[in-house]
Parts: sequence; structure tokens; C-alpha cells
Amino acid sequence: MKRSLRDNSLSIVFGILLLVVLVGQAFVGHADYNNAARTDGFAQMSLWRFVTSSSFAVDVAENWESEYLQFTLYILLTVWLVQRGSSESKKPTDAGLGSDRSEHVGRFAQLDSPTPVRAGGWWVGIYSVSLTVVMAVIFLLSWSAQAVTGRVALNELRMRDRLDPVSFGGYLASPDFWNRTFQNWQSELLAVGSMAIFAVFLRQRGSPESKAVGAAHDETPDT
Amino acid sequence: MRLTRAVFVFYLVFIAAVLAAAFVIGALGR
Repeated sequence: MKRSLRDNSLSIVFGILLLVVLVGQAFVGHADYNNAARTDGFAQMSLWRFVTSSSFAVDVAENWESEYLQFTLYILLTVWLVQRGSSESKKPTDAGLGSDRSEHVGRFAQLDSPTPVRAGGWWVGIYSVSLTVVMAVIFLLSWSAQAVTGRVALNELRMRDRLDPVSFGGYLASPDFWNRTFQNWQSELLAVGSMAIFAVFLRQRGSPESKAVGAAHDETPDT
Repeated sequence: MRLTRAVFVFYLVFIAAVLAAAFVIGALGR
């Protein structure tokens, strides 16, 4: 059991941190919401009412979608785009989908290859893009959830100002929707782009996200 | 591998549950 926990420590620790931070977001988001409501002379909300409100859901969803967009783009674009010298990139000569031999598919499948790979045919075709597909689906669902809940949250604010509610179509064209979207996208794109180039010249000893400390700057490590 | 699969399923189920809840909350206009 101890070894099993160690072998999965990365995803378990991130999962625990996620739950802790999400609970923290619920508490401080609730306090923030009620402060604003009090200032504007509107009714307070219970914690449960807040965590099941569109105000909370849209804040969660807008961050989720940008993270999953970031990873979807990174997984997909790094198939063809490279950054020489970066631990986040393949070697420039390896750009592309790779050979059956390097991907262990077709007649190069191994005895312990995943079932769809050993099954061959269109199973392996689907399995070959499954990571990108799942990340992209989560991105699209999160972005849709952001749109659905963002509209409700915006309409609540508009109601306080005695303004007409916006339709779903109207919300998709609204500054609120795109401001929430773009403010998250720009930060993700900056983080990814800077990470790709920082990893050429900077190091973290022991991290798989970094090259070996003594590796030359123009050396792109094997992935 | 059993714990690895459990963690994998946890993440997928957690994401699906939160997104489903968000859609329900939005659809109900809460």
C-alpha cells in the first residue's frame, strides 16, 4: 500500500490540493458575494446556496476551461511545433506523428501494450488521440458550463440594476463572456509559452519538467 | 495498478460530476 501511494503521489497530492483549494474558494467566494450584496443592500446567501449558485459555478468553469484548453493545445501543437533546447519539446527532427516503431503500434505493438493497440484497426486510431479528445471534450464542456452559468450570474447582477435579462445568444456575444474567457486564455498562453522557452536556459534539478542541470542549452532531451 | 486506476476514475468522475452540477445549476437559473 505504501509503495502504491508513492507510485501515485503526484496525482493524489494534486487531487487533495484541488479539493482543499476548491473548499477555500467556496468560503471566500461566499464571503465576497455577501459583502457585495450587503454593500448593494441585497439579501445574503447561505454557503450551500452559494456553492450551488451560478456565481460560484461560473468562476469554477471559466478557470477549468482555460486550463483544459491550455493542455489540449499543448498536447496537440507539440506534435508538430518544437522548441529546440526545451524539455517541453521533442527534438526538431522528431516533429510529426512518429513512426509505428516509435509509437509501438501495428506490428510493433508489445505484449503489454494497451488492449486497443493490440486489437489494432480503428481501435488503435481512436486510442492514438484519446488524450487530446478527452482534454478537448472537458475544455468544451467547461466552456459551455461557463456560458450557461455566466448568463445566470450576469442576469442576477442586471436584475439588481433593474436591467432586462440577456438571452443565451446575447450572452455569447457579451463582453462579460469574452472578458471572462480571454482573461483566462491569455494567462495560460503566457505560462505555456514562457515555460517552453524558460526550460531552454533554466533548470530544476530532479524535475522531469527540466533538462539535466548540466545539459547544454541547445540540447533537446529525449522524450 | 489498482490505485492508479482508482485515481484515474476519481478524476474523471469528479470532473463529470462538477460539470453536470454546473449545467443543472445554470439550467435551473440558480
